Amino acid sequence: MGTTASQLDKGMLSEYQELTFLTKQEILLAYKRFSELLPKEETNGISYRIPMNAILELPELKTNPFNERICKVFSTSDSHDGSLNFDDFLDLLSAFSDSATLEIKSHYAFRIFDFDDDGTLGRQDLEKLVNCLTGGTGDTSLTPDEMKQLIDNILEESDIDKDGTVNLSEFQHVISRSPDFVSSFKIVL
Amino acid sequence: MTDEQNLVKELVGMSTLEQTRAIRELTMSFEEKKNIRWIINGTKALAVVQKWLCQFFRRCSYTMRSARQALELWHGIMKEIGGKFGTSVLTYFLFLKWLLLFNIFSFVVNFSFITVPLLVYGPNITSNVSFRGLELLTGAGYFTHTVMYYGAYSNETLRHGVEYNLQLAYFFTIVVYMVLCGIALTFSMASSFKKNFVLVDPASTSAWQLLCSWDFSLTGEKTVTQRKNNLRESLSEKAQQKLLTLREKLKHSGIHLGSWLVSTALVAGCASSFSLQQEAETLLVPFVVSLMNLVIPLFFSLFNKFEHYSNNRSQIYSQVVRNVLLRMSILGVLCYHWMNEVSQRESFLCWESMVGQALYRLVIVDFLFLMLGSFFGEFLRNVIGTKLHRRLGPPEFDVARNVLDLIYAQTLAWIGLYFSPLLPSIQILKFFILFYLKKVSLTQNCQPPCRTGRAAQMQTIFIFLLFIPFYVGAISIVGYTAWSLNPSQNCGPFRGLDRSFSVVELWMAGLQTLPGSGWAVWIFENIIKSEIFYFLITLIILAITYVFYQLIQGRKMLIDLLKQRIVNEGKDKSFLLDKLQNLQKSRPKKDTKHGRVCYQTFSL
Repeated sequence: MGTTASQLDKGMLSEYQELTFLTKQEILLAYKRFSELLPKEETNGISYRIPMNAILELPELKTNPFNERICKVFSTSDSHDGSLNFDDFLDLLSAFSDSATLEIKSHYAFRIFDFDDDGTLGRQDLEKLVNCLTGGTGDTSLTPDEMKQLIDNILEESDIDKDGTVNLSEFQHVISRSPDFVSSFKIVL
Repeated sequence: MTDEQNLVKELVGMSTLEQTRAIRELTMSFEEKKNIRWIINGTKALAVVQKWLCQFFRRCSYTMRSARQALELWHGIMKEIGGKFGTSVLTYFLFLKWLLLFNIFSFVVNFSFITVPLLVYGPNITSNVSFRGLELLTGAGYFTHTVMYYGAYSNETLRHGVEYNLQLAYFFTIVVYMVLCGIALTFSMASSFKKNFVLVDPASTSAWQLLCSWDFSLTGEKTVTQRKNNLRESLSEKAQQKLLTLREKLKHSGIHLGSWLVSTALVAGCASSFSLQQEAETLLVPFVVSLMNLVIPLFFSLFNKFEHYSNNRSQIYSQVVRNVLLRMSILGVLCYHWMNEVSQRESFLCWESMVGQALYRLVIVDFLFLMLGSFFGEFLRNVIGTKLHRRLGPPEFDVARNVLDLIYAQTLAWIGLYFSPLLPSIQILKFFILFYLKKVSLTQNCQPPCRTGRAAQMQTIFIFLLFIPFYVGAISIVGYTAWSLNPSQNCGPFRGLDRSFSVVELWMAGLQTLPGSGWAVWIFENIIKSEIFYFLITLIILAITYVFYQLIQGRKMLIDLLKQRIVNEGKDKSFLLDKLQNLQKSRPKKDTKHGRVCYQTFSL
């Protein structure tokens, strides 16, 4: 690519601006943060894939209950190991930025919540989602009865065509009625 | 591949600007977007000039976006607060920033259109009282004859090259600022209402709402664990909703009724205790007012502890309503006193400046009490909670109470605008200091809120409150003063007139002699001054509102019908699938038949 690790060239910068929702400063900041994660000897920064466990050390992602899912969804790696190159990293920040549209945000939220990557949110996905958000597997987690009741409630409300799963359009319908989603689906560097 | 070709075909048809936006909004990875853009640029043959122009405009818009972000105030602090305390606390700081910008605008307008011409060309104003320091608190003495208050402004017309009528400038600056404020408030209220209320199903306080409002910007480990615990509690509450018995219901509504009665009585008591025999010069009135504003809400939150609310939201709303009632009645009594008693008293040389000083004192003392409030309410409570009474723990940041404090402070500034045009400068200082104070107090003393209300909806409610009782109240007071009260005869820009509004009448009378300004006079005589015009406007607005109301009802019915249809089609689908399975079971060998059934299913 011909860029040194410390700088992005102008053409790439404008391309990034055109294809993501980020502003110039945000892209430069993202680049700075990204290059801090690079190993010392690496000079071709943009195309290097940073492994998932290094990405998860970022304080913005460290405590996030979905951090591994986020990496997996945005990774374009062939082996699906959640490693991110700079393009993927910008994609992530763009989807979580202030100016991203509701459509994009809900699309990625759906993919993050879809733990088995089968294109719909089934009972198992929902159970995992609730477990992720309530912290857990310990003795303090919800009882099986409560969990069943809760998932029944969720499906009752959102599964409009009654096929036992929540698909993307049903999910987007739910999202459009919870106004807090846009402001809370946000990660700022 | 065909999908991609279709997409490319669709994109090529668009204009360049739309294209860029559409590509940006594709839900694909960066690599794929780049690829698509490359294909499109290849298929499109643009003239060099056109290409260059497009690029130029795009560059401009990016630069603007970057510049706007660079100018954004307190970006880092906001991020820190949002990360540690979540979106609902952040609402308070965003609101504070918004109000601060409002005041900066107001100060710039007032200062440049009213004060600067007077200072530069107007008659010299010299204060014969020396500055002693206490004036900062009372607003009297040295300040009385400065440009701070109404009284110092002159009614002359400056003639330095161009004519500049100070009377008209004073009148129109304030009117235009108030109108602009109203427009800004209406628009932000409407857009936030559209975003946060209209689409929301009122009946659904469901699990999804809780799951979807997870704050991705949270960064603190402790905060995240705490949030998770709270979410678990509310989810398990949701799962096992118990019905209340009649006895419990009666008890709850009894307590509600009782606490409403007591709080209304408290408010009424506070309001009527101002018989206002005290002289306006003392610091007693603002002190008592601020003390009430500090203490009575504590009682309200005490009542709230005893009441049992089905959800968090109605608890916050009831508290907000009580506090608003309190502040409105106190302000109402004060305004009544200023309008009906101070303005009629002959002993004051310049009653407008008197009112201005009273408002100045209210603003300052309110500021002191806000600081005391964060000291006692947050710092001391933290010390008690962590050292003496471990069970209490550190306090939470009470967003509703704090936002109401801000709204009240802003109302004071609005009312004071007419009487003291430079009051916004004090307000700017006040909000600026308050921002840092609250930030420090928050990060040192408070813990993140246990329950997350709906931040987006709360914000709408706050803007609504700022608009309906408070802004409308302030504007009606200023309007009443300008249209109906006698201005002081010996000071201020409107001396010698029987109403401030007469300035416009005089101006129009002057214009009549000028050729070519007949239309302005006609508009003034037939539109501004005619009741029929306003009557007609009101009628038309009412009619339009009714039509829109009916439209909304129609849409609601349509939504219900469509929902029903989706459910029916889902039923059809499962019915047909069952039938298909039965057929498969009964005739497992005849594959040809199976194929035909399948075909029929799909054609249905």
